[in-house]
Amino acid sequence: MIAPCRMTEPHAVRRIAVFGGVYSNAHALAAMLADARGRDVDAIFCLGDLGGFGPHPDRVFPLLRDAGVRVIQGNYDRAIALGHDDCGCGYTDPRDNHFARVSYAYTLGRTASEHRRWMAALPGHRRLTLGGGTALLCHGSPRAISEFLWESTTPDDFVARLLDEAQADVILCTHSGIKWHRRLADGRHLVNVGVIGRPENDGTPRVWYTVLTAEPGRELDVEFVPVGYDHEALAREMEREGLPPEFADTVRTGWWTSCLEVLPARERARGRF
Amino acid sequence: MRELSPVSMDAPAPARRLTLAGPVRPAAPAAAVPFRHLTALWVQITGTWCNLQCAHCINASGPREPWLAPLDAEAVRRAVLEAAALGVKEIYFTGGEPFLHPEVMPLLAFALERAPTTILTNGTLVGEAMADRLAALAGRARYSLELRVSLDHPERERNDAVRGPGAFDRALAAIRRLDARGLLPILTATETDRSTEPLYDRLRALLLATGVRKPRVKILPLYPAGRMDGRGGGRVTAAMVEQVGAERLQCSEARAVAAGGVYACPILAGLPEARLGATLAEALTANRLTHPACLVCWETGSSCRNA
Repeated sequence: MIAPCRMTEPHAVRRIAVFGGVYSNAHALAAMLADARGRDVDAIFCLGDLGGFGPHPDRVFPLLRDAGVRVIQGNYDRAIALGHDDCGCGYTDPRDNHFARVSYAYTLGRTASEHRRWMAALPGHRRLTLGGGTALLCHGSPRAISEFLWESTTPDDFVARLLDEAQADVILCTHSGIKWHRRLADGRHLVNVGVIGRPENDGTPRVWYTVLTAEPGRELDVEFVPVGYDHEALAREMEREGLPPEFADTVRTGWWTSCLEVLPARERARGRF
Repeated sequence: MRELSPVSMDAPAPARRLTLAGPVRPAAPAAAVPFRHLTALWVQITGTWCNLQCAHCINASGPREPWLAPLDAEAVRRAVLEAAALGVKEIYFTGGEPFLHPEVMPLLAFALERAPTTILTNGTLVGEAMADRLAALAGRARYSLELRVSLDHPERERNDAVRGPGAFDRALAAIRRLDARGLLPILTATETDRSTEPLYDRLRALLLATGVRKPRVKILPLYPAGRMDGRGGGRVTAAMVEQVGAERLQCSEARAVAAGGVYACPILAGLPEARLGATLAEALTANRLTHPACLVCWETGSSCRNA
């Protein structure tokens, strides 16, 4: 059993690794954790959405526990923990809804009650001192667990308001599935750290996490780190478990085949579908 | 389920969306929805001035003497600046038909410098030259330009019965032109027809058959407003709001700027009972759900936003 973490980290940190969207991809999680261990990080944070999409949801929990990852709750975790009817993404496309239902029923039916209880106790946010500033870690946005923050539809004035309301210098989020970083003119930041469970619709099977380094007196350094892993093994497991073949296609090709309706025009234009 | 005929000016009120989900005492007071934050700014740039006269139009737009006047360019710029200062997330230009506004392109460029901006159009004025201009604007804009093209039915005759002769072909031609330039328009339909096969799937199939490779479809319910005024009734009470959560209603995070002031939402823009102030700052206050259209929002959980 993993002990629930406090919402405010007690010690200031200098370099951290942050990731989101595991989506039951234990292969990518293991590869990412191995990579992060070689980068001299003070702590590793996960911004939620442990299940969905991939196979064998229970396999990610021991990896998180053994690596001491500090986790916050994503919308998927909350839904699975509380046994909601669906993941709460609010799709309107019947095709997306079909895929979401299949994936959700699969995950709900195979997540041990011990892990559901643990997810129920996860905090929705974390606040930590990163270098000399304050970072707020959240899932979708500081104000809503299921809010999508895309690069092309998140304007600077809106980011500034989120930072003001969060009383933070840096916001770290995930949920949308594609990484990006915005530095405001006043030196504050919003970083969508990406996801490690699914490629980011760029035609390659790699996934991404983020390393942030805050040296005293220097600009916050944001490095997006690509992670290769045995995606073919994952795809075969998904097929053996009877998950939709479209999901395995995404794992192999790097192109999204579902959840496309939530993409803004600019992000959608970059993909194949 | 019985297939309803397309809406026309003389058609009886469609049944499903416009009926009460449960008994509501007529004397129950209208609920108030607290304002949370300004996520979406709607700008009624052409008021109710339109080159079509659709049978179900939520604000009875048309070509003759609009009851709601277009906004002048300065008023639009002022609203965009005020919304940006409040940290707005998205801007929407609507009407009427926004491309009738003589300064629509510079205003669109002005808005896109500050926030992602969507324009809601019937497509009739999006010819090759306009599509080129929009593509150029989208290419240099910092934020996403979205275009929503209205088309209500996958069959030409059924669509044009609601939207007017020629509307189907012109809207589809606009969608093709925009798609050819990588702008990925969102076909937006009002649910005027409910046959067994979902409208969403039929419209998606229409787009694919048209050659659109990345089809995007948005379905909106019929609202008892504008030309459908009086086609539904009932009031949303405080208990009903509590049941679904006030944050699910778009008036908790949107405002519409139109001639005469700032209103609770784009559907009710221009109506005195939905006016909340002269400026955005004044209008960031609780909204009372007094209009029958509010019941449709409550029942369907529908959002006028893109996603």
